[in-house]
Amino acid sequence: MPARERRRRGFREVVADDVDLLPLMNLFVALIPMLLVSAVFLNITVIEMKAPGDEDAQARADQAREELALSVTISAERYVVEGNGVQTVSVQRADPAAAAQLAAALAAIAGEHPENHDVMIVSQADTRYEDIVGVMDISREAGLPGASLLAADRALN
Amino acid sequence: MPLRKGRRRRRSAVQAPLRLTSMMDILTVLLLFLLKSFVAEGEVITPAPGVSLPESTSDTGPESSVVVAILDDRILLDGRQVAQVPAGAPGGDLLIPALAEQLDLSRSQGEAIATRRGDADSYAPKLAIQGDRDIPFALLQRVMYTCNHSGYGDIALVVLGAS
Repeated sequence: MPARERRRRGFREVVADDVDLLPLMNLFVALIPMLLVSAVFLNITVIEMKAPGDEDAQARADQAREELALSVTISAERYVVEGNGVQTVSVQRADPAAAAQLAAALAAIAGEHPENHDVMIVSQADTRYEDIVGVMDISREAGLPGASLLAADRALN
Repeated sequence: MPLRKGRRRRRSAVQAPLRLTSMMDILTVLLLFLLKSFVAEGEVITPAPGVSLPESTSDTGPESSVVVAILDDRILLDGRQVAQVPAGAPGGDLLIPALAEQLDLSRSQGEAIATRRGDADSYAPKLAIQGDRDIPFALLQRVMYTCNHSGYGDIALVVLGAS
């Protein structure tokens, strides 16, 4: 029988039944690195600030003297919340619940003065940028989105 | 040797194609994911190499702007180092002249482009600051002062949003 004879001789016809994917692979291999380079894996956001002109800064400083003038001073050991007609609150930074205490103090003041949305963040020369951003976050979440940065007697923003 | 040659078996040329189907599946999924992230993102800001941005709860997206990166004592403008400010520099004048010079140049170029486009009146120079999380406030203060001095009033502090 011819079939048996074929098996005996070890002859087998190989038929390629797969689709040729190599051209598509080449395309993918070119596309994927290009997209990987332009892909964004970090969620980058921004905190918007407006730097005032000289006149604006003066006007704001005059206004702050008359109004609440809420400020958070960041020192090496503590956060101090002060303002006109506001009881001064001091929070030890070493306390694990410092952020929560500061948030509660600011939220209470924001609740008492709903017309006020501003807070001045007073930093020392060596205050870390990360700590300032942390206080800005706490202030924003407490209902005080208008943060200004101050150092010594100079208003930046 | 003729005897060995005679013993040698004839090998049939069998083609063994690579099974690429599973790899194609992976690549297709990866391609779709990358295309989606490419389309969904708006303005893309890439952190400057070496800058470790602070984390924040802010969810405001970045806009196209000039980027000033602060890393240790080096200041980069759009990826180019333009100034070096020693950490213990005396805090007299806040202005950083080398940065101010480059910012003025960048602003005048932006204004020239806006004039050519015909929207010079609505042109508002914008700037994003990528500060390393460990930089002291004194350095940030000097950079912000210099930016404001050069007419960049809209300043965005670039941070890592909560993912």
